[in-house]
Amino acid sequence: MSGDSLPLVLPLSRFATDSCEATTLYRELRKPLLRYLVCLGLSSDEAQDVVQDAFLSLHKHLVSGGPQDNIRSWLFRVAHNRARNRQQSYDRRFGTQLDLDADSISQAATPEQVVLEKEKFRRLGKAIRLLTESERECLLLRASGLRYREIGEVLGISTSTVADTVDRAIKKLAEKCNV
Amino acid sequence: MCDYSGKLVAWMDRELPDNEAADVDRHVLACAECGRRIDAYEQVSASFVAYCDAAVGQKTPMPFKRRHWIPVLSAVAVAAAVLSLVFVPVSVKQIPIRSRAAEAAAAVVRETAPRPVKTVHRRRPVPRTKMANAGWTLAGPAVQIVIPAEAMFPPGAVPEGINFIAELDIADDGSAQGLRLQP
Repeated sequence: MSGDSLPLVLPLSRFATDSCEATTLYRELRKPLLRYLVCLGLSSDEAQDVVQDAFLSLHKHLVSGGPQDNIRSWLFRVAHNRARNRQQSYDRRFGTQLDLDADSISQAATPEQVVLEKEKFRRLGKAIRLLTESERECLLLRASGLRYREIGEVLGISTSTVADTVDRAIKKLAEKCNV
Repeated sequence: MCDYSGKLVAWMDRELPDNEAADVDRHVLACAECGRRIDAYEQVSASFVAYCDAAVGQKTPMPFKRRHWIPVLSAVAVAAAVLSLVFVPVSVKQIPIRSRAAEAAAAVVRETAPRPVKTVHRRRPVPRTKMANAGWTLAGPAVQIVIPAEAMFPPGAVPEGINFIAELDIADDGSAQGLRLQP
């Protein structure tokens, strides 16, 4: 996605003891953050703004001597809350998240594969819309590579609740998609 | 349903404690039903990630589409520039602009191009001697603008009724060459 050209320049070396580690953090987390925010329903530009805000907040947090453990879940939580605030201020709903036009998918090699892929995404999209908001968010964060403990920190719920929610969501999708 | 079905997703995600994970490891090898479930859950998980990627790709502008329009827009811009260079000067010469604004401006703006300076003085309350002392002649078309002195100086600084003439030299290409103020 166009997030490669995100014009974000941060004095990364200031908010980490090892600048290489900080740069790695930025490179590692920027794309998953962007993907998570876009899947939550933000536009590409909005997602880039939120990611930039989140990294600026991280900079302030660390410069002011904030704890440096669980930075990944910290960043996702800040980005998640910013996205929530934006969508509430714009009076938009999260019901539009993860909407995908299955007809626009044409990456398969043969026409038969295109048809099958479209049908698969259509069924999956329908099943995703049947999930609860919490189930969708848990799955999105899980797809971003977060552990259950981190997902719980982002969403403000316990790890066991995350495990139950993810288990329930995966089983719903498998059932609806007839997998 | 198998008793282990509630642990399979967490086992897939390596979120179970070691002792429970080892227990599920052994069970999965022996239970065909759980094996099928794990395959299904992995397939759904992979499809979900692919769905997210497709949704993100759909919301992001495709770079090749932007590149596709660049030569088209460039060609249109070049064509417009060439057409303006070829046709605009001709149309300006052939079609006199008659508008209310132009007619209103004609009261104070007069085009005096290649006319002698003398003819200009017949229309202005300016002494001929002062124009002769100015020591300049028009090399090309000029535009004269009558400016009341009250508009340029504070009240009382200049006697009433005095006007200034601003003469704007126009080159052949229509550009402004110089500006002279005459009382």
